[in-house]
Amino acid sequence: MGTPLSFSDERTDRMYEGPGSRRSAGSGDFPGRIALIIAVVAALAGLGFAATSTSDFITHLDRDVHSVHCSLNPMAQAEVGDSGCKTVMMSVWSSVLRTSLWGGIPIALLAVATFAFLAMKALQLVLQRSLSKDDALFVVVAWALPSLMSLVFAVIAINEIGAVCSVCVGIYLSSAIGLIAAIVAWVQTPAGLNPLPWSRFATWFGEGVLFVGIMVGFYVLFAPQAPKSFEGCGTLTNRDDPAKILIPMTTSGTQALVVLDPLCPSCRAFDRRLRSSDLDKRLAIDLLLFPLDSTCNWMVKQSMHPGACAVSEAMLCAADKSADDALDVLDYAFEHQERLLVDAKESDASVRAELEKKFPAVKGCMGSTKIKNKLNKSLRWAVPNGLSVLTPQLFIGDTRVCDEDTDLGLEYTVTKFLDKAPSEPRRRRR
Amino acid sequence: MNGSGYGNHGGGHGGHGGGHPNGQNGMRNLAIFLAFLSIPTIAVIVGERSAAGRMAEIGSAAADVAIASAAEEGYCTPQLKTIVRRVASSCGLVSGGRGCKPADARSVATMSGDDFNALFKPLADRAHIIQYDSAQTELDASGQTEVEKVWSEKGGASFFFVVARASPDGGADYNTQLSQDRAQSVMNHLQTKFPQDEDLSKVGLLWLGEDYAQLDSGFCEWQRSRTDQPDAPCTAKDINRSAFVAWIDCAI
Repeated sequence: MGTPLSFSDERTDRMYEGPGSRRSAGSGDFPGRIALIIAVVAALAGLGFAATSTSDFITHLDRDVHSVHCSLNPMAQAEVGDSGCKTVMMSVWSSVLRTSLWGGIPIALLAVATFAFLAMKALQLVLQRSLSKDDALFVVVAWALPSLMSLVFAVIAINEIGAVCSVCVGIYLSSAIGLIAAIVAWVQTPAGLNPLPWSRFATWFGEGVLFVGIMVGFYVLFAPQAPKSFEGCGTLTNRDDPAKILIPMTTSGTQALVVLDPLCPSCRAFDRRLRSSDLDKRLAIDLLLFPLDSTCNWMVKQSMHPGACAVSEAMLCAADKSADDALDVLDYAFEHQERLLVDAKESDASVRAELEKKFPAVKGCMGSTKIKNKLNKSLRWAVPNGLSVLTPQLFIGDTRVCDEDTDLGLEYTVTKFLDKAPSEPRRRRR
Repeated sequence: MNGSGYGNHGGGHGGHGGGHPNGQNGMRNLAIFLAFLSIPTIAVIVGERSAAGRMAEIGSAAADVAIASAAEEGYCTPQLKTIVRRVASSCGLVSGGRGCKPADARSVATMSGDDFNALFKPLADRAHIIQYDSAQTELDASGQTEVEKVWSEKGGASFFFVVARASPDGGADYNTQLSQDRAQSVMNHLQTKFPQDEDLSKVGLLWLGEDYAQLDSGFCEWQRSRTDQPDAPCTAKDINRSAFVAWIDCAI
């Protein structure tokens, strides 16, 4: 085979037969082969998990909402709604180059390429007549990459994202098992005396790079493009705020508006994405409270987020003192969102009492005519601007970022918007 | 390639005796290489093409998302809307002045007093009746609280109606003036309490005196400022010494 990456791994070790030969054919390398077979199985398992994760990611490239697989059981159905896997997938850590490509290049795709290469290489070695200690050493080094990355991403998932993805755990386990199997294969394979075959290692490394390069290349080439992302999905018609209902949220930069419900899980996720992507540092964001709670919002017939009116009132009360105080209330609401929603279903008063206890400054203000009036004006602000009855919404300048671009495609879309929008300096508030 | 111990070296060696197995192994390794490279790559391409197809379908489908709008409740009958519209234009909301006297009110309503009152009955949960003492036009403390409470329950309403009346005691002209002053006292309190509120422009005043659309005692069951005074009488006369205040959830 005269290909640049030669595929005849049935090496000519027999040339070196004799004392001190590198050849280790025959029963001597049998335990090593068994370990290598385990490595193949681990690579295939890792490939399966990574492919599942990549498939879920690619499914979302249609900009729609989909269920996500989140189980170590390969036969398990995809889960609708929130899950650790969805949280991880929607986080900034799920892909790279997110400002250059809608959604970026998924880390899971890199894992697919890596595991495919590891499975391929281990299978080739298992099927060849002889297995040398050098071959096994390469496999060990190769398996160190997914193992190290698994360790890094496990730490990120726990410390940065705060959610663990079952499918990712499958990848971590596959990496660990594969690495152990590779080490066993290396230990169990008889040693030779020849110097390390760096040239062969370089060729195999090149094959690995080729795997990653080709898969990433085709991924970028065929990634769906949506011109709508650049045009936006509507504009504000009247940004005036005579009643001072908009809460200045962040930073110097381009003027932006976020329409938000403090007890909306999607808003919390959006806020986290905005912060972790550092986009908030490039935007001067005003916050419009739009609680999807029928207690105060006539546009929703049933409360989607009970208690949101109470939290919004607390934020507006706190905002009378300073925007930072209002954002402290928001942070608290995000942090305790699930419990507040449950409590509010039982009793709106209990949520109000909790907020007054946590933020004594809002006591006497919450529930007052003045603040109810202000919250009402916040909701009414949406009417002349023809806002959709949903949260979150992001406007950059006066142009609304399409809803489908506020999760995986947030960095890409906002960056494109910022490239064409003028920047206006403003004092950073948070 | 000797150093690597494979490739041309292996193939060359295989060509001299052991070549056939090496050639086979080379083909096998190539097949494995291509299989592991091509299958995931093709799957990625197929997945992305599928996503692009779905995106095109979604893009052509109409978005089914509600748009923020003023409230439009079921009680907003065409007749009520007509009255609201005429009050908005004839009684000052549009032209800058504010208020309709009884004669104007009749032309606004073009219906009997009972029919006029019947239009407002669906607002039983929304409206409040602010009561006054006989011959009085000042809001008492409970009246002020009630007005503020109603004002804060704006919701998505487009207009705030103040329909003031007087009992038949006294002369008709006096009662007309009395009801006008009662309507104005509500307005004055709102202007004092919420001086910068642009929604003040949505307040429509209608004063009916004693000669049109008198309330019957059944309205004593409605939310009113003196509900917390069980000893206070609520006769037909008492309930007409009042201002009926409500946000109207009709988009016109």
